Amino acid sequence: MISSILVYGLVNSVILALIAIGFSLTFGISGVANFAYGGFYLLSGYLTWILLKYLGLPFIVAVFITIGAVGLLGFLIYWVILLRVRGIVLSEVIATFALGVGMLEFFRWKGFVTYEFTLPYFKKGMLLIADVPVDYQRLFIIAIGLALVLFLYIFTHHTRIGWSFRGIAQNERTAISLGIESDWTAALSLAFGSAMAAVAAISILPLGIISINMGYDVLLIAVAVGIVGGLESVPGILVASLILGYAQIITSMYISAEWMMVVYLAAIVLVLTIKPSGLFGKFKELEERV
Amino acid sequence: MLEARDLMVFFENALAINDLSVEVHREEIVGVLGSNSAGKTTLMNTISGLIIDIKKKEYRRGGERITVLGELKFEGEDITNAKPSERVKKGIVLSRERHPIFPDSSVGENLKIATCIRRDLKITERFEFVYSIFPQLKEISKRKAGFCSGGEQQMLSIGMALMPRPRLLLMDEPLLGLSPALQQHLVRAIRQIRGEQVTILVAEQFARPLLPFIDRGYVIENGTLVLMGTGQELMENPEVKAAYFGV
Repeated sequence: MISSILVYGLVNSVILALIAIGFSLTFGISGVANFAYGGFYLLSGYLTWILLKYLGLPFIVAVFITIGAVGLLGFLIYWVILLRVRGIVLSEVIATFALGVGMLEFFRWKGFVTYEFTLPYFKKGMLLIADVPVDYQRLFIIAIGLALVLFLYIFTHHTRIGWSFRGIAQNERTAISLGIESDWTAALSLAFGSAMAAVAAISILPLGIISINMGYDVLLIAVAVGIVGGLESVPGILVASLILGYAQIITSMYISAEWMMVVYLAAIVLVLTIKPSGLFGKFKELEERV
Repeated sequence: MLEARDLMVFFENALAINDLSVEVHREEIVGVLGSNSAGKTTLMNTISGLIIDIKKKEYRRGGERITVLGELKFEGEDITNAKPSERVKKGIVLSRERHPIFPDSSVGENLKIATCIRRDLKITERFEFVYSIFPQLKEISKRKAGFCSGGEQQMLSIGMALMPRPRLLLMDEPLLGLSPALQQHLVRAIRQIRGEQVTILVAEQFARPLLPFIDRGYVIENGTLVLMGTGQELMENPEVKAAYFGV
């Protein structure tokens, strides 16, 4: 019992982190809360499925095309939609949320709702870890999660685009006075966040059937993890994922699986009342200092 | 080198800069002196182009309406509508007031981020240059910038502006909030920077440590030019003495 809680709690935590990290990256850099995130996530799933099923592309090619295309879409959406409402937080949220709902309901309308919509496992089979059976796909998810965090660290510390990300995130006007373009950086942050939604989708969706409602759940997860951890902090995201991931598994084992969603909502309410900036966030503290 | 003609900047209907013309020649140190709300920062933002960005964002938010009139020329080229990034590439870099650095990154990383748009520069050379002017920064290069003292942050802020190899360095209140000893130290650094073929335009309200070293100065009040002259002339001017030296 304990060992299966440990193993599946970890897998669940990594899944949450993978889902949340793109959302949080975009927000941390540009301040845009991309509420179309769930839409991007499902779009990635369906796009990969279409590339595999109808065009018969090799899996790895389909994966890279999907990541690239969804990233590009995020980039374009900044210039076409977000630019008009930039700076008005509520309008940003409404515009992206409407877009996300539009995407999800479009798929429902087009009939992407049957059991045939699944993505393939990277590799079939399973392993016993401390007597708990874990399939390879879940191990891949853990590996991809770690690789993504490592990639993000290297990218933000050793590339020029990464430097401009960190500059804009920390002090926008200073960054601009040093010649960094704030709109380009924000658009790129949206592209990166969307591409990460695609990475998450391609790794996680094979675990089940692709269903429209997942889009809404993904958004809720991204928001919940972000709020608990502090939206712009990568360590915060990781810790929050661990807390929520284990809390969920324990809830589902000792209470019932229907209560898993309640964990997120309770966590949001609890954190907002006790420490509104999240465990590792600093927006609130900054405001207090000013 | 820099020629600003008939600049006028409005925030809604309030006039922040009124018909101001400023000229800076190669390898000069030019001062812009004035008290709080004289329009120094607005002038610096206008020359660095930051105001274009602020204006754009205010417009998008439906916030304050900012109007910029007049003409800016850099080395004979019209840069009135050039974006801040284009101006940085041409060699105009601003060190903003109150040393706003990147607090969560280390001192070294702050400097690195500052070179981000100049792909043509050798970063190690720029580091050597900045460390030669502020050797202290080298010693604390691993420290988180947010934990540095005010003086260190001010040096870092100027160091960051030096990283993209400016030809015209704009400094907004570099002496603000520093002890007299540190002010002297910074004034020496400013002279050393000029010695490296960097032209400097510095806005400052506390003019006493700076005045002996500026070639020319503009005194502005409420956005309007009230006096101009060489550093020597300004030092001897009774009005300047009364207003800025507290004599």
